[in-house]
Amino acid sequence: MNVLKRNLVTVLAAVLLSLTVPVAAQDEAETPGSADGAVPSPPSNVTAEDVPWDKGDGAKLTWDAPAEAEGLRYRIEKKELAEDGGEAEWKFVDLVTDEQTTFTAKELDHTRQYLFRVQSMAEDGTLSQPAVLPSAFQSERQLFFGSRLYLLIIVLVFCGSVVYWIRHARSGKEIKVRQIAGLEAVDEAVGRATEMGRPCLFVPGIQDINEIQTIAGITILSRVAKTAAEYDAKVEVPTARSLVMTTARETVQAAYLSAGRPEAYNQDLIYYVTDEQFGYVAYLQGMMVREKPAACFYMGAFYAESLILAETGNGIGAIQIAGTAMPAQLPFFVAACDYTLIGEEFFAASAYLSGSPEELGSLKGQDVGKVIVAIGLIIGVLMFTFGNIFGAGTPIGAWLLMAVNYLKNVILT
Amino acid sequence: MTSIDLDTINVILATDCGSTTTKAILIQKVDGEYRQTHRGEAPTTVEEPFADVTMGVINAVTEIQELADRKLVDDDGNLIRPTSGSEGCDIYISTSSAGGGLQMMVAGVIAEMTAASAKRAALGAGAIVMDVIASNDKRRPHEQIQRIRALRPDMILLSGGTDGGNTTQVVQIAELIAPAKPQPRFGKEYRMPLIFAGNIDAGPLIEDVFDESIELMKVENLRPVLERENLGPARDAIHDLFLEHVMAHAPGYDKLMGWTDAPIMPTPGAVGNILQRIADQQNINVVGVDIGGATTDVFSVFEKTFNRTVSANLGMSYSISNVCAEAGMANVLRWVHFDMDERELRNRVKNKMIRPTTIPQSKEALIFEQGVAREALRLAYIQHKEFATTLKGVQQQRTVGDTFSQEIGGQTIVNNMTLNLLVASGGVLSHAPRMHQTAMMLIDAFEPEGFTRLAKDSIFMMPHLGVLAEVHTRAAVEVFARDCLIYLGTNVAPKGLGKANKPCFNYEIRGATLNESGTINFGEIKLLPLGPGESAEVVIEPVRGFDCGAGSGKRIERTVHGGTVGLVLDGRGRPLQLPEDRVTCQKTVGQWVDTLELYPAAERDAVAV
Repeated sequence: MNVLKRNLVTVLAAVLLSLTVPVAAQDEAETPGSADGAVPSPPSNVTAEDVPWDKGDGAKLTWDAPAEAEGLRYRIEKKELAEDGGEAEWKFVDLVTDEQTTFTAKELDHTRQYLFRVQSMAEDGTLSQPAVLPSAFQSERQLFFGSRLYLLIIVLVFCGSVVYWIRHARSGKEIKVRQIAGLEAVDEAVGRATEMGRPCLFVPGIQDINEIQTIAGITILSRVAKTAAEYDAKVEVPTARSLVMTTARETVQAAYLSAGRPEAYNQDLIYYVTDEQFGYVAYLQGMMVREKPAACFYMGAFYAESLILAETGNGIGAIQIAGTAMPAQLPFFVAACDYTLIGEEFFAASAYLSGSPEELGSLKGQDVGKVIVAIGLIIGVLMFTFGNIFGAGTPIGAWLLMAVNYLKNVILT
Repeated sequence: MTSIDLDTINVILATDCGSTTTKAILIQKVDGEYRQTHRGEAPTTVEEPFADVTMGVINAVTEIQELADRKLVDDDGNLIRPTSGSEGCDIYISTSSAGGGLQMMVAGVIAEMTAASAKRAALGAGAIVMDVIASNDKRRPHEQIQRIRALRPDMILLSGGTDGGNTTQVVQIAELIAPAKPQPRFGKEYRMPLIFAGNIDAGPLIEDVFDESIELMKVENLRPVLERENLGPARDAIHDLFLEHVMAHAPGYDKLMGWTDAPIMPTPGAVGNILQRIADQQNINVVGVDIGGATTDVFSVFEKTFNRTVSANLGMSYSISNVCAEAGMANVLRWVHFDMDERELRNRVKNKMIRPTTIPQSKEALIFEQGVAREALRLAYIQHKEFATTLKGVQQQRTVGDTFSQEIGGQTIVNNMTLNLLVASGGVLSHAPRMHQTAMMLIDAFEPEGFTRLAKDSIFMMPHLGVLAEVHTRAAVEVFARDCLIYLGTNVAPKGLGKANKPCFNYEIRGATLNESGTINFGEIKLLPLGPGESAEVVIEPVRGFDCGAGSGKRIERTVHGGTVGLVLDGRGRPLQLPEDRVTCQKTVGQWVDTLELYPAAERDAVAV
């Protein structure tokens, strides 16, 4: 049905054109050449073709310049054809110089048909008769968007590096991950609790399980619980969300099982307190002062409570290990805790602790991506700096600033 | 043992009863100063058919008696004391490592915390630690019990829990030991001594666990809080029990104990004792090494903290195969600057293992043996660094400035840049044909950084002086300074790596006998003559990237002391890296050998003594 409609519209447009264009073309042919105050000669042979590798919003227009084209400019207009065959107004598209006989029209709708016309414009603004595209044009959307090729390259490089490093790790070659003090110290903290005969406290943040930081915290809880199982220490996990409690229970149970001590698992030590932020904090503070845990772990998303918890833990003489990606809370944790996992370290914990080739390779591959981004940032900054130092007036300065604009407005948008 | 008036002491006799040899030295007051004047040695007689350690002692002392022309043993075979005219001695002291020394098993709750402290206490007291039992040592209880039963320690040190802390697991470990009923090495009537140095609250519970087969001795907790070690009481208890139980059951030791004026100390304990005193007195950091046939002992005192490790499988005869296996033949051969047939090498290694008393008969054999020694020392030092650490389980105090520099607890305290004195002892080091070889073995194995004085124990006198220091500190220190150590010289080595033949550091030396300046390139080593008793002012200006103690690229000025080898300017960088390629490596090592004249042509057929 749509095809039928489209054909109908095309036929109608052709009829219209046959009524108007030849006349106009004849008029144009007879129009005298451009002189001061005279009407300039119109361009001829206007054609339109689809722009390849685009998203279907472009048309490449070409035309022949009139015999005396010097000093002329070309006014390009478009008209969108209605589906019912009705006509819309001609709309101005652009004005180009006499040296240019091609133009790429943008912002078209690939579901609609368009007519284009080109008029010569003398220096005093006198317009020639329009040269109209003989038939309606409809752009096509391609499967691959060519101007986003760099995105494909970036994806291939990033994914390729991940795949490469995973294969590298699987082949048995060593992947060096720098030492993360906070994770190395887990054994030490749990050991301290064991020697002192006191419990370990694990706080998985105050957000729910849909928060990525909470999930990262639970990953570390698994390691803490396994160590505690091996050392026969007690781990207490009060939570602020019921779903986090359920997840933490399953994680700790699995950890005790893998440590070969399922009988030592006590689910009552992992419990829900309250969703209320400061109610939860007040409970934790009271519990810390009363029971004096020898090791405190704060792993997850934290807000105002970070310093309250860390200072209380410091006051009771516990080894404290914190991990969060909340930038505002990091200084508090760093100052008051023994060890702090900062941002990315926190998320890398899973790979670091498991040591599995897939996770380590993925971590390394991501790092390669970050290095590329960092190099891109540095290059961009340098180009912008030197572009401004040389000035837009110099060829090198202009080139640098143009490249920066391309980076900023095309690649990064 | 009688009380001693130190001012009247003129003649001191000291013995060290080793497994194979009993070594005796005579110290006399000469011109108001204590000097070691004579030495003698004889085979140890602790085994059958003699089964009396004092026979070996008398034999060694008799040798001294003849050399010194001083009667020390009376007609009844007893030592003459006190001095009267040209007869007798004022003090007699002894150490002992006969019969394998003091062998202990230690236990604690966490292997890296209280169990590690217990191990430090035992090693510091001069014991060999046979095994460490801990609740997190990954062994199941039945495996731990089996292991305890299989061991035959002289005594057990049990720790665990801070004061007021864990009692459950401490008692659990005691409950593993009690049913295992470990059997002692000596004496059927012997009750296994067990020192409890753990949580004070667990003391009464521990008493209930053990029956009369265990001689329980409770001392102060060696980790009363995790932030502090209190090893003294446990070490003293080990020494007491060593005398009361172990020595009392060894053949002839009851008699020997009656002779001595100070308690008999385990030999390594005495060595540690003298090194600690010297480090304290001179306020320096010291590393000492004693490389034997089966084991290598490393002692260190850094920032007044003493540590000792025994590398049980690193030695030059019984353990030589293990050294080659652990280090890899390629690593041993990198120190050899000519081609060697691998089959011949294997034969050489195995021959040394089954005939431990053989010594190299050719230059090639000597160079190979010294290559093995370098690797044994290097591995022993790595083990030592891993053991000599700060305490684990300690709360850290941070500031925001520590954001990107969070160090974990348990970092090694061994810092080669602050090492002042490196002392060598043991056959392969002490008896090398040339002192230069000893110096190079020390430098290559320990990789000292900055300014480090090198010395060797002339006749392995440190054990004697260690126990003497307990009775007469002045005499021990004076003899140590004048007769014990043979100073080899000083090594100057900046830390860092660079490109071959590019400048490493500039030097300027001003001294009475040595005035020189120049540049040392990376990869180069130079020996300058600076004899015993001589000293010089040295200014080192390392290039950027190299640190000689003042920081990267910073100028440093020090007084250096000479020795029998001289002043070694080492631009090979730290960590020391040898070329991977065998041919290049041979060429490089060959250059070093030539520069330091390690194996001069005249000594082509030199034989280690």
